[in-house]
Amino acid sequence: MIELRDFSIARDGKQFFTGLNVRFDSGQFWGVLGRNGLGKTTLLNQITGLLPTKTQAVFVNDVPMEAIGIRQRAQLISYLLQIQEPCLDFTVLQAVAMGQFAWQPRQTDWQQAHQWLNQLNIHHLADRSLLQLSGGERRKVELATCLAQNSPHLVLDEPLNHLDMVYQKFLLERLKRWSEQQSVIMVCHDLAAIQSHCTHVLLLLADGCYLAGESATILNDKNLQRLFDD
Amino acid sequence: MKPNNLLPWSAFWSVVVLLLLLISLNVGTLDTNWQAMWEPDHAHHDIIWQLRWPRALNALLVGACLSLAGLLIQNMVKNPLADPYLLGVSGGAATVQLSLILLASSLPIIIQILAGFAGSLLAALLLLKLSYFGHIRTAKLTLNGVVLAFGFAAIISLLLAMAPPEQMKSMMFWLMGDLSFAQHQAWQFIVLLFAAAILYSKHRPLDILARGEWFAIKSGVDAAKLNLWVFGLAALLTSVAVAQAGTIAFVGLVVPHMVRLLAGNTHRLLIPLSLLAGGAFLLAADTLSRTVLSPLQLPVGIFTAVIGVPVFLILNRKTP
Repeated sequence: MIELRDFSIARDGKQFFTGLNVRFDSGQFWGVLGRNGLGKTTLLNQITGLLPTKTQAVFVNDVPMEAIGIRQRAQLISYLLQIQEPCLDFTVLQAVAMGQFAWQPRQTDWQQAHQWLNQLNIHHLADRSLLQLSGGERRKVELATCLAQNSPHLVLDEPLNHLDMVYQKFLLERLKRWSEQQSVIMVCHDLAAIQSHCTHVLLLLADGCYLAGESATILNDKNLQRLFDD
Repeated sequence: MKPNNLLPWSAFWSVVVLLLLLISLNVGTLDTNWQAMWEPDHAHHDIIWQLRWPRALNALLVGACLSLAGLLIQNMVKNPLADPYLLGVSGGAATVQLSLILLASSLPIIIQILAGFAGSLLAALLLLKLSYFGHIRTAKLTLNGVVLAFGFAAIISLLLAMAPPEQMKSMMFWLMGDLSFAQHQAWQFIVLLFAAAILYSKHRPLDILARGEWFAIKSGVDAAKLNLWVFGLAALLTSVAVAQAGTIAFVGLVVPHMVRLLAGNTHRLLIPLSLLAGGAFLLAADTLSRTVLSPLQLPVGIFTAVIGVPVFLILNRKTP
């Protein structure tokens, strides 16, 4: 369970949201909706402990993030980054196996890495070089790496980017299934995808208000209208 | 990846090193024959073991240090053009050692080496201080390193302009790399093996760091701490090399790439193979530099380029 207590979203010194109180439980599939530049990625970076928060505001199983070591965090939370950092080349199989580090810092389980490639229908890429993949293929490899991390919380920053329609549908169904045991938090700009798959939503509105709760209650016409208002 | 590639590759490079060592001990201004190596009374015995052996060891040491440092720096800044001299340490060492040649040319070599070592570490500390904001900002470090190197280059030009002509040659030789100060190598080898052992124990975090700092942190690697280790060990290794042999271009840039092209990107292989290949590469270049126009000795930097440029270009074309 990840919990935000009196959490603020600020970016470049500007405060977007204050007093957020949200609890992400296992068995829930959260969609985070909001317009560009409102600090959604910053929120995810802080939920996952990549960026520090000003005050103690993120708790995982009631333990403040600050008290959790970096490798322990990785055991609790896998995070799909939105951007692609500059990196050196590896094969796809090697790249996916890196996800195992949090649990197995000493040895690599190649069998398990193969299984994750199979699960995501990308086994044919196993020996390809990471830097020669297409944008969508690369995205799938990053996803497989996150899943190989085998943690109870999955945090995804725009996971559908670069993916074709068929694969988007496949992935959303998979995420839905995984979210029955894990908690999934996904920032996504595809309203239809969130409506049809997410059990819970966090709406970040341009006026500094936020709405959080079950999608069935939150995603009504009135609230959606507010999302589109200036 | 075939996880067992380490043994055949290290065996291959070890054989290359041994062969080169045998060749380099027996060629030179005076070509000796193989028996002289093992007969203490042979007239050439001393030439081999007193002159060529320490110099060959020096080449192995410096080559290994530079290529290992290059491997680390390329990983840290994720830039294939990075080489160990990016850290500004060669400039620091050059400034100190050239000043010493100017001011007190008759100092014992060990003092010169230690002073150069200190100078290069100080330069690395300066760079670290400039680029450290709670963690190393690698993008800033790259730029700061390049700019600092320009600053040191200006100081070096000043020193060269002020130098009397009779000292020009030894200064130029130092600047282009000179392996003939072959003394006092024991502690440097210990530093090299110590660094290599630490790095080998961190080969998986190093792989992960090569995927990016954010990727590393989210995967459970303390990237800030690891970057400090990488920087510290790279600075240490480069300082050993520079203090010992001046600035030898190309080894730290090209050898890690050659090893990557041949054996892939995992540090479990890259660390031992860069060590062996770097040593072999510099030993080959140095052997050429003292035999091609013997008895004239040419700067070794000429031959690191003569071997490195074509080998690298061919490899880079032939691999996907």
